[in-house]
Amino acid sequence: MSDTPVVRVVNLVKIYQTGGLPVPAVRGVDLTVEAGEFVAITGPSGSGKSTLVHMIGGLDTRSSGEIWLEGRRADTLSESGWAVLRREQIGFVFQFFNLVGNMTVADNVELPALLGGASPRHARERREYLLGELGLADRADAAPAQLSGGEQQRVALARALANQPRLLLADEPTGNLDSRNTRDVLRLLGRVHRQGQTIVLVTHDARVASMADRVVSLLDGQIVDDGAIPRVRRRPAGGAGDVVELRS
Amino acid sequence: MPRSAELRWIRADLRARRGQAGLTVLAVAGIVTALIVAATLLEGGTNPWRGLFERGHGAHIWIHSKDVPDVSALRGLPGVTDVAGPYRSAPATLATGGRRVPITLRETPAAFTSVARPLPREGRWLDPRAPDGVVVERSFARALGLRPGSPFTVTGLNGATHRLTVAGLAESGDQGFYPEWTPGLAWTLGQTLDVVEPAPGRTEAVTGLRLADPADTDLVVQRAVFTLRNQVQRVTTWREVRASMELDDRLLGLLLALFGVAGLVAAALALANAAGGRVLTQLRDIATLKSLGFTRGQVVRMLLAEHGTLGLLGIALGVLAARLVTAYAMGETVAVPLSAGPLAAIVAGTALAVLVAVLVPAWRGGRVPPLPAAPAAPPRGRLSRLARVALLVRLPPALVLGARDAFTRRTPAALTACGVALPMMLITIGLGCWATLDDFGRHPESVGQAAALSIRPGDMTAEEARQRVMADPDVVAAYPGAELDALVPWQTRTVRTRALGLSSDPYPFPVVEGRMFADRGEAVAGQGLLDLLGVRVGDRVRMTIGGTPLIVRIVGRVIEPEQDGEVLSFGLDSLAAKDALPPGFYALVLRPGADAAQVRARLQEQGLEVTRAVNPAERLAVVRVIIVALVVVLALIGLANLLTASALGLRDHVLDLAVLKAMGLTPRQVTATLVTAAGLPAAVGVVAGAAAGAFWSRALIDLEGRGSGVGAGIGRAPTPGMLAAALLIAIGAASLVALIPARRAARARVPVTAR
Repeated sequence: MSDTPVVRVVNLVKIYQTGGLPVPAVRGVDLTVEAGEFVAITGPSGSGKSTLVHMIGGLDTRSSGEIWLEGRRADTLSESGWAVLRREQIGFVFQFFNLVGNMTVADNVELPALLGGASPRHARERREYLLGELGLADRADAAPAQLSGGEQQRVALARALANQPRLLLADEPTGNLDSRNTRDVLRLLGRVHRQGQTIVLVTHDARVASMADRVVSLLDGQIVDDGAIPRVRRRPAGGAGDVVELRS
Repeated sequence: MPRSAELRWIRADLRARRGQAGLTVLAVAGIVTALIVAATLLEGGTNPWRGLFERGHGAHIWIHSKDVPDVSALRGLPGVTDVAGPYRSAPATLATGGRRVPITLRETPAAFTSVARPLPREGRWLDPRAPDGVVVERSFARALGLRPGSPFTVTGLNGATHRLTVAGLAESGDQGFYPEWTPGLAWTLGQTLDVVEPAPGRTEAVTGLRLADPADTDLVVQRAVFTLRNQVQRVTTWREVRASMELDDRLLGLLLALFGVAGLVAAALALANAAGGRVLTQLRDIATLKSLGFTRGQVVRMLLAEHGTLGLLGIALGVLAARLVTAYAMGETVAVPLSAGPLAAIVAGTALAVLVAVLVPAWRGGRVPPLPAAPAAPPRGRLSRLARVALLVRLPPALVLGARDAFTRRTPAALTACGVALPMMLITIGLGCWATLDDFGRHPESVGQAAALSIRPGDMTAEEARQRVMADPDVVAAYPGAELDALVPWQTRTVRTRALGLSSDPYPFPVVEGRMFADRGEAVAGQGLLDLLGVRVGDRVRMTIGGTPLIVRIVGRVIEPEQDGEVLSFGLDSLAAKDALPPGFYALVLRPGADAAQVRARLQEQGLEVTRAVNPAERLAVVRVIIVALVVVLALIGLANLLTASALGLRDHVLDLAVLKAMGLTPRQVTATLVTAAGLPAAVGVVAGAAAGAFWSRALIDLEGRGSGVGAGIGRAPTPGMLAAALLIAIGAASLVALIPARRAARARVPVTAR
């Protein structure tokens, strides 16, 4: 793999206009994420962490600054340009799972692959593989509403990984889950990370953040801390699951 | 390839809402069916020739010749597919009830022929065992008051009189309607004809030619005349027959066009409501799709394809259903399916309406930002002064909260009101049309039909006829009249003039503008005539009637339902004496409440030729069917709009519900709040729609009247009773519709967590 960073943002600013008043959410953030990194962005509510990730994924527009993905300038892309970029390079996981309600689990996971131009057969194979990996092979024909929160989030993860994206963006993926499901989802994230997946994860939970290689702390839209977590702490015998287990 | 992702989503969405999708298809199909059936009925009603000709497999050309022509030569002419006859035909005079009318007797085999087959309507067909029985053409029989079983006598050219009986009545696409097409026709057996007209030299041979392409008529006529050399006496073609049957009713056409447009608006509304409501409930899913990498174009295309397909499916189903309905359910009244032009217009119009209706929600769906968790802005608003006063005077809190809710969320409330107001307005206009038709029927004098009957003296003198008529207890007045065609300078055709009553004692024409004629040389005219001549009330018109120049001043405009309003009416004394005397007919005004049919029968027994005035409402009866159908469809659409609106309202209210319950409102109060919130804008919409409809219907119908030549002044607003009933039913139905989801929501456990 080349040494081009997967994500590089330069002096990124986001200002919301609320009732005519400018409300800055992100104020000049510089951030670089290298390939294979697992970065956690933490901070209290309203610190701008979700906005930052949404801008990196093109879901929200920036007010100023630059966004480079895989060495390509992305902030100047049109809405459709971003859509094409997302379908090929970025996977998203949201707090409320956001599965398409009227589609089955299988359809939800196959959709990005089909959108990326894969043949229906290839999409099905990829879906079978992913659901098998995530232990959901038997739920393929279920509707999302029939699944538990943890299962839904695992389906969302499968969907995000369907196109083997260069970058996985996770916005509070455990925010709506109980501790058991949190543990499962984190274990899965850890596993895909070990397989080389670049992950940027937003969380307000310091213990979830401790899963990552590197934690970026935001406060009032600015980075106040950016540091790697020593590997020793992160690698006790049982992996991430035990960390969570300890606190419950 | 990404197409397969779109298809996958469309398929999943359709599967998830089968019922709703089915309803959409059915709504559009229902509207298309109603439009096509109405247009078919109209076409059949105003142009019965097409149906009669198709059913009877008519002949396009009829050749009357002295001797039996060379049939094989005629059959061999290019373009001729079949030959009817030759049949012998003889003129005679029919006498019934003291009247003598010319009639043509035509020989016909007792077995039905394949070409030019008369269509029996009443009674029996010809039977060789009963040679006195003849079958009379129906319009002719009606004019003479003949029924199956009626006896009558015919006198042949040799003066011998024969008694015959009406075996049955039949119609044919080869014989025009009486009295536009004279002489009247009776089909007889060959042996009967031999009895009435034994001299072979006095009969003629009639041969019908059926063509492959009606457009070749003129060419084939020329060739036939050439082939038969000097034998041909005269030739009639299908065009003349059709012209004698056609009812050029512009008012009906315009009314139907109005309802057609209303139907298209209804179809568009139905679809816009279904698609729009669906898209609104799907905003989150659409945002998710965009976060997965669907572009705006893809989303728009997907929504267009999904909802557009439903609409087009509805159109296809509607066309099919209309075919089935007209072929099976109405097989008796409808002979031939709608011709291609109007069908194409209906299909294209609906398709366009469907696409436009779908485009807006699809475009809105495409503009959804890709951020799936877009937070809904919390409703702003506080208790208004009005609401505080309402609470102070101890109005039920549920009502106040509901009302506040309806007026703080202004945009959804306005949308709800519009979604209800538009169908309600169209319904009210439909009711206005209904009231107008009722008024035609109840007050025929207001559409120029004060006289329910008119008589022609026939072979008695005019004075004698008048005396007989006035002797009838139910006849109040008999106005002498004459109808003549007048030549007007700069016009290539003649216009109808009607001299009726005297200047001193004018016929009660319904004057809506200016005044009634009161002197010789004064006239009143219908809108159609004013438009045709480009004149106004007060202008002078110069014309020639029967060679005599006549100058009249138009002093008023009347409602004129005949001849598309192109009629000029004045007193009989304005005419030259040679045209005025003796009067051609008498228009009879009957005592209020008298039964025109009974009077007519009595007068017919006295040997008078009596015609009954055809009320425009009778010709427009098909419009009533359409009004009922449209009102039902529109009501359903209004309710569907409301259902969508209240479902959307509930979705936005989930959080408030928790708050309301936490505040201690009982489920019943919560229900009342929700019903008020949804019902209030709906009630506003109903009232506004009804008001607009009542305001517009009169003007709109008058506009139609003006366009059709009948003239403005016919429009009536719906009666207050009708309007009140419509309002009550609409508001009641709206509240009921709002109640169903509200009850469910009030009872459901409400999660207090975020959505």
